Amino acid sequence: MSLLARYDTPASLRDMPVGSPFYDNWHDFIALRLDASTIGTNGGEFYDATQTDVNILGEHALVWMAFPRRVLMPRLDDRTSAFIEADRTPGGDSGNRNVQDEYCEWRVERNAAGKITKVTFTTETPEYFEQLWAVDRARVVTLYQTFVNPAVVEADLHIGGTYQRSNRWNNADGIMHLRQSINNLNAALNLAQDSAVTPQAQFTGIPAPTTIPTASDNYQMPSVADTSVDPRVTYDVAALVRKPFSVTLRDPIGLYMTHFDDTGWTKPDGKPVDNYWTILRGNPGQILRLQYEVPAGAGFVVGDLSIGGRPIEWGGQIAEHVTVSIVGVAGVRAS
Amino acid sequence: MNSKKKTPRKRVPGKQIVKEQVALTRDNLVPLELEINSKAVASKFNVALEALGKFEPKFPSGIILPALTGDPGAEIPGADAEPVYDAKQRATIQGNTIPGFNKDHQHFLFFRIRDVRRAKKFLQWIAPFISSMEEVLSWVRSFRAMRHRLGVNPPMSATWVNIAFAYRAIQVLASEADANAFNEQSFRQGLAARSTYLGDPTDFKNPGHRKNWVVGGPSSEADILVIVAADDPKDLERMVNLIKRNAAPAQLRLLFEQRGDTLPDPLRGHEHFGFKDGVSQPGVRGKVSSAPGDFITPRYIDHTDPRARIYAKPGQLLIWPGQFLLGEPRQDPEHPFAPAPAAVATPPPPAPPNFPAWAALGSYVVCRRLRQNVPAFWKFAVAGSGELGLDPVKFASMLVGRWPSGAPVMRTPASDDATLAGDEWANNHFIFNDPTLPIPLRPIPGYGGDTFPQAMQDMLGAVCPHFAHIRKANPRDISTDLGKPHDSMLRMVLRRGIPFGPPIAGIKNPSTRLLKQERGLMFICYASTIENQFELLTRRWSNSPVQPNFGGHDPIIGQRDERGARARFIDFPTTTGLRRIELRDEWVIPTGGGYFFSPPIEAIAGVLGA
Repeated sequence: MSLLARYDTPASLRDMPVGSPFYDNWHDFIALRLDASTIGTNGGEFYDATQTDVNILGEHALVWMAFPRRVLMPRLDDRTSAFIEADRTPGGDSGNRNVQDEYCEWRVERNAAGKITKVTFTTETPEYFEQLWAVDRARVVTLYQTFVNPAVVEADLHIGGTYQRSNRWNNADGIMHLRQSINNLNAALNLAQDSAVTPQAQFTGIPAPTTIPTASDNYQMPSVADTSVDPRVTYDVAALVRKPFSVTLRDPIGLYMTHFDDTGWTKPDGKPVDNYWTILRGNPGQILRLQYEVPAGAGFVVGDLSIGGRPIEWGGQIAEHVTVSIVGVAGVRAS
Repeated sequence: MNSKKKTPRKRVPGKQIVKEQVALTRDNLVPLELEINSKAVASKFNVALEALGKFEPKFPSGIILPALTGDPGAEIPGADAEPVYDAKQRATIQGNTIPGFNKDHQHFLFFRIRDVRRAKKFLQWIAPFISSMEEVLSWVRSFRAMRHRLGVNPPMSATWVNIAFAYRAIQVLASEADANAFNEQSFRQGLAARSTYLGDPTDFKNPGHRKNWVVGGPSSEADILVIVAADDPKDLERMVNLIKRNAAPAQLRLLFEQRGDTLPDPLRGHEHFGFKDGVSQPGVRGKVSSAPGDFITPRYIDHTDPRARIYAKPGQLLIWPGQFLLGEPRQDPEHPFAPAPAAVATPPPPAPPNFPAWAALGSYVVCRRLRQNVPAFWKFAVAGSGELGLDPVKFASMLVGRWPSGAPVMRTPASDDATLAGDEWANNHFIFNDPTLPIPLRPIPGYGGDTFPQAMQDMLGAVCPHFAHIRKANPRDISTDLGKPHDSMLRMVLRRGIPFGPPIAGIKNPSTRLLKQERGLMFICYASTIENQFELLTRRWSNSPVQPNFGGHDPIIGQRDERGARARFIDFPTTTGLRRIELRDEWVIPTGGGYFFSPPIEAIAGVLGA
């Protein structure tokens, strides 16, 4: 294995011409946030693949549910109330993105009858658009016009020249990228890197046997956040590090929708649904923007479909079947 | 925003790991094409099938179990108090839920109610026959103690009965309001309505399509399921005939009946593919009396080891009873051993009711009649192993995660070990992500201890692959798509299945007539929800190629139906990297079943039979 020359953009997007300084800026953004090596237990580490040379032994995709577990679990006896909570917004139930905290957010569009016509999911991070904005504002405006609304103008997206993550087209009037406060790449990188070190003082689960200085299995790990993603990343990175492996995220680093499952979804006539998914940005396995919409002319809309015999009334019913991931790689230091 | 460049720290040298190993990544994933119907496969298939007859677990003998009705040393100082089930409660909880019948011979009767008044009379008649937790647990405790002393099953016999009701039955026997007070939407919908959601075929020409089921299809849904279990087949037949004789005048139409039997020795306790089944069951928390140590599930771990907080015996996770019985303390989703409040029958509005008050201590029952195509499974195993240069049994055991004897591949990766398989304190003691540490037990006179090599870490799924059935259905310590492993403890179910049909595993050159006979598994499980437990395990993990980890579908029970496409895949780990193998044939075919509710016994002649 050799050192990685440069961190690529998520899903190797090419929103700018090859040779644009944007790509170097993006690399710098990632590299700046990673240590050459963050030492964990037993000599394992989380490393920066551009600085530390590691022979890869395997990869480990860290997958989790797009629907916010933090919303679902307290409402497990009343799932409908969980779906409402994740969608309820003033004047339209278009997606309560403040609670969509699993690095995946969605926006629901409804027709005059209130039925869902389209659900758009994104895992794109705000930092990507900030980096792009710094190089080419017009390109950002074009992306908004293409994917959100042709009416978007540059003035809608900034205040005093500073790009606004929660501008109207990425909030009340549309969705372009993640905007929930902790849904950003910086937080994701910190979560992954910091998981290499698990302070004993945090243990609230099964205490480690006194002869073992740190957790020796996941039951002894700290009781981290009640989301799906936080323990998924924390536990998995810590477990790989204590093997001891050298661990990092696979390039191109990104938060991806990796799978969606419409098994048992039916049309109004009871027949299986056709493929109504469209990947708008990214590629299969590395999906950044995903849309679920019945094509015009079908005679019905998303809100007329059923999942396991239950009508689709909320975007969260779809989000429950979308899988998000980041991919880790593990190995040992090249000699 | 964090923009500060951190200073690299000095790396502490760690243990060396084999460097020459080929990376288990999908970058170098090579598809493997199999010739399932080749002559070479046909010639080896019978050899593999016959060889299955030799994998019998070896049970230890001369073991004296701790006291049956209270062992003070089993108490953990400072642990959360577990609910004590008094005589009235023990007499009303059905015995197949806790502790489970686990009989060699069982019979399943699926009835449709035609006359409500007469059906109620039948319920009043059958109620005294229904076996309670009290009766079954007393018997099981005696049986276990004797078996460990003798090393073989003692000459004891009993006949037990369990009953459960579908949503429609509760509508007509109790009331519409009572039926709708069950907040388990999947129960109210029924299995047929949820069939394709579970991955069952959408094409009605497929034999597994719900329209082709022997019972439980759209026009053949049963209202009542009666399960009769006995040690002696003659006792079983007598009880079944008695029930049928009383059901007929009650206008209960017998839609379907299925006899189930454990496979004959040496495959007793195995399912038809030849693998020991039911090795790993959750341990239900709770006490039979307030006497110190009088737990429903015996505790064997020395409480000086912190793992005594989560395991009853090595590998058997302790689960709060509300995961199986309505209205009891449940498992905390964020903690490995703390309880969460019980579901109450009627929470304050606007929350909907959880269940009618009379249903407390009852349990949902999932019944799936699964046909097994044993030749298809073993031809696949022979073809796959041949291409990879592996022994067919080794290949098949990696699909399951256990060897035919029940010994876990995590503890004996190279070959089966009948002695390990027969040691209940060792055959389930392993985790996946990390090396499994020895675990100290409380004194068990006559037991020599777990001297088998402990499992090494297998986080990347090289030993027990991510797709392996036991890793999908019980992820143990691994984090999942739903977060921490504590969440997985909420998903566990109590399995009470039994095979049906004549075996061909272990038989030399089975005749064409025998091969054509139907065989499979009556899958039965009990839980306090259907959607968050059985359906989640099935759809979210077994049927998913990426959950709880990447690596493919569960090759044993996993299904896929993507607009009619049913081929599944597994990413098989080899020394030369991952090989993607497509599974085109199906060897587990749903052929019937239903969603039921097993009420407390007092409700049978009471609310339902009155």
